Amino acid sequence: MTRVTVSGLTKVFDDGGEDIVAVDDVSFEVEDGEFIVLVGPSGCGKTTTLRMVGGLETPTSGNLEFDGTVVNDVKARNRDVAMVFQDFALYPHMDVAHNLGFGLRRENNDFSEAEIEERVKDVAEMLEIEELLGQHPAELSGGQKQRVALGRAIVREPRLFLFDEPLANLDANLRKTMRTEIDALQSQMGITSLYVTHNQEEAMTMADRIAILDAGQLQQIGAPEEVFNNPANTFVAQFIGSPNINLFEGRLEPTEDGFRVTESAAEVEFPASLVPADLDPQSVTLGARPQDLVPVTGPGEADMTITGTVSLIEPLGTDAIVRIDTGSGPVTAMVTGYESLERGDELTLGIAAKDIYLFDTDDSLVKPRHYEMRTGDEVTA
Amino acid sequence: MTTDADDPTAEFRKNQSWLYDSTAGGYVRKTAIGLTTALMSLFILFPLYWMVVTSLKTTQEIQQIPPTLLPVDLSFVGFEEVIYSSIQQGGYTGFVESTFGLEVASSIDIDVLGLIFNSLKVSIAAGLLALVLGTIASYVISRREFVGKNALMSLLLASLMFPGTAIMVPEWELINTLDLFNTHTALVLIYGAMTAPFVVWLMKGFFDEFPDSILDASRMDQCSPVETFLYVIVPMARNSLIASFIFAFLLAWNELVFALTLLSGDKATVPPGLLTFVQGFNTQWNVVAAASILVSIPVLIGLAYIQKYFVQGLTGGAIKG
Repeated sequence: MTRVTVSGLTKVFDDGGEDIVAVDDVSFEVEDGEFIVLVGPSGCGKTTTLRMVGGLETPTSGNLEFDGTVVNDVKARNRDVAMVFQDFALYPHMDVAHNLGFGLRRENNDFSEAEIEERVKDVAEMLEIEELLGQHPAELSGGQKQRVALGRAIVREPRLFLFDEPLANLDANLRKTMRTEIDALQSQMGITSLYVTHNQEEAMTMADRIAILDAGQLQQIGAPEEVFNNPANTFVAQFIGSPNINLFEGRLEPTEDGFRVTESAAEVEFPASLVPADLDPQSVTLGARPQDLVPVTGPGEADMTITGTVSLIEPLGTDAIVRIDTGSGPVTAMVTGYESLERGDELTLGIAAKDIYLFDTDDSLVKPRHYEMRTGDEVTA
Repeated sequence: MTTDADDPTAEFRKNQSWLYDSTAGGYVRKTAIGLTTALMSLFILFPLYWMVVTSLKTTQEIQQIPPTLLPVDLSFVGFEEVIYSSIQQGGYTGFVESTFGLEVASSIDIDVLGLIFNSLKVSIAAGLLALVLGTIASYVISRREFVGKNALMSLLLASLMFPGTAIMVPEWELINTLDLFNTHTALVLIYGAMTAPFVVWLMKGFFDEFPDSILDASRMDQCSPVETFLYVIVPMARNSLIASFIFAFLLAWNELVFALTLLSGDKATVPPGLLTFVQGFNTQWNVVAAASILVSIPVLIGLAYIQKYFVQGLTGGAIKG
């Protein structure tokens, strides 16, 4: 039960005389019992941040607090933190029972053998791995190893869980099962957790709040819906959501009753009510989620339409990812009822103005998706 | 008759050769491989076979020309002489004669058990010394960056490349200066130093492959560095440690030149001890062969027991556990 405060955390690695800034002035707070997912592309500093919280790396500068106490200089073994590693890191020479009990046998803990056995048994039951207790890690499947690694973390009932891409080495099905289980386990135990992944889907499904990092810097932290609908910048908009958001360069001009954005192959009118700020004419970036783009028969059927030739169809069952080549570059959409489509067909896609994101020249969001309209606004959808 | 043109399987039967694609060719290949293997085995195993056969012959039969492939007149005189001489030298004559009613008398006066005991003492100590020095050095070389690391590794490799006897004279001087002449300590130090570089190379391979996340996991499991070393690193290194130990042990067990020059009398180890059996024209080869077989038994038993760890240790990095 711990509140973690990260303030101005920075880590600089010395790589042969060259300084590499892995984590650059990152600050955030994790509430007691909260499940925070750190997400970002490879090398964004998410794992380094996690390792600093665990005490496996020393911060170059900045502070790390557990419940208001600075723990920068506290040894990893005195932090009472448990970590699950990507490659599971089970001790190959010990059977499962001893892997689980290993941490309990250390000097910090004052357990009798009977208590240790009791706890190991309880955890094994909880994770349904009782029949594996006598086996060695080499005899286990990936999913079983993962459960043991998880068990080793929860058996100590630490104040903090750290997960370093724990599901990355598992197959897709197992990954889905395990993420549900980890999520359930965490809420059941109510232990504050930090979870690192590069998989945005994992982040969206598991997190109470998602922290998105890029190049060592925190881009945004917020609830899954918030980072999806209100991305702080185009990086977050692109990183969260699958398939990737479509971005177009355009020009924004105020009109009598709102704004008009002109783009090389399309244009769209926004009622003033949809845009939360008074904007001067400027260059903007438009964002359109593939899920929000639907095939239409012609212009005028949606607030914004864009026409192109189908160049790729990736069927996913009920939907297909369809890419069309347009005058403004390739555009991706999730299309239901794609069976009649063929490569080379002409296709017009439409999107409602309320679903479009707008980013200004400084790459910060000016109009989110589904912007909540003010009372009295006229709804035209 | 189908031609290639209308046989749809033709394109799968390109590049045929008689040796690989006909039944007869297959037999020829297998026979050739079998014969080669048999010849090589014969070549390798013949000295061992000859040793066993010689130990079971009488002196006359050994000197017979042409030699016999199998002992015509089976004799255990060689073994008797060696065992009885050990009993004599050990001072157990009275005990054995009264207990088993055997008359113990040997024409030689060499204490084989004593030789084995001396050799075990020296070899085990040298093995442990090489293991401790080599493992510590390899851990540092594998895990830490420092100036001159590559030079150091090359130097260690180079030290394995010239015969130890090449530096015999300075080592002899050194041992003399340290006043260790005719002590087992001298041999332990020399053998330990000779084998430690190999241990460094072998253990470095192990530590290079050692997953960092296991060390991280042990830190998260609240291990102190000493606990990590004792409960995690050492057990995981077991096979490589055993392989290193066996290597150092065998080298010390077989080494002749240093043992011959630095030791005398009852301090002698097995190799110089066996050499004393060889006495010009009077050499009793059946006794030499019997003694050789007897001294190799303790090593064979030990090796048979830990052989699987030895192979696992040498191939440690290649096969995932």
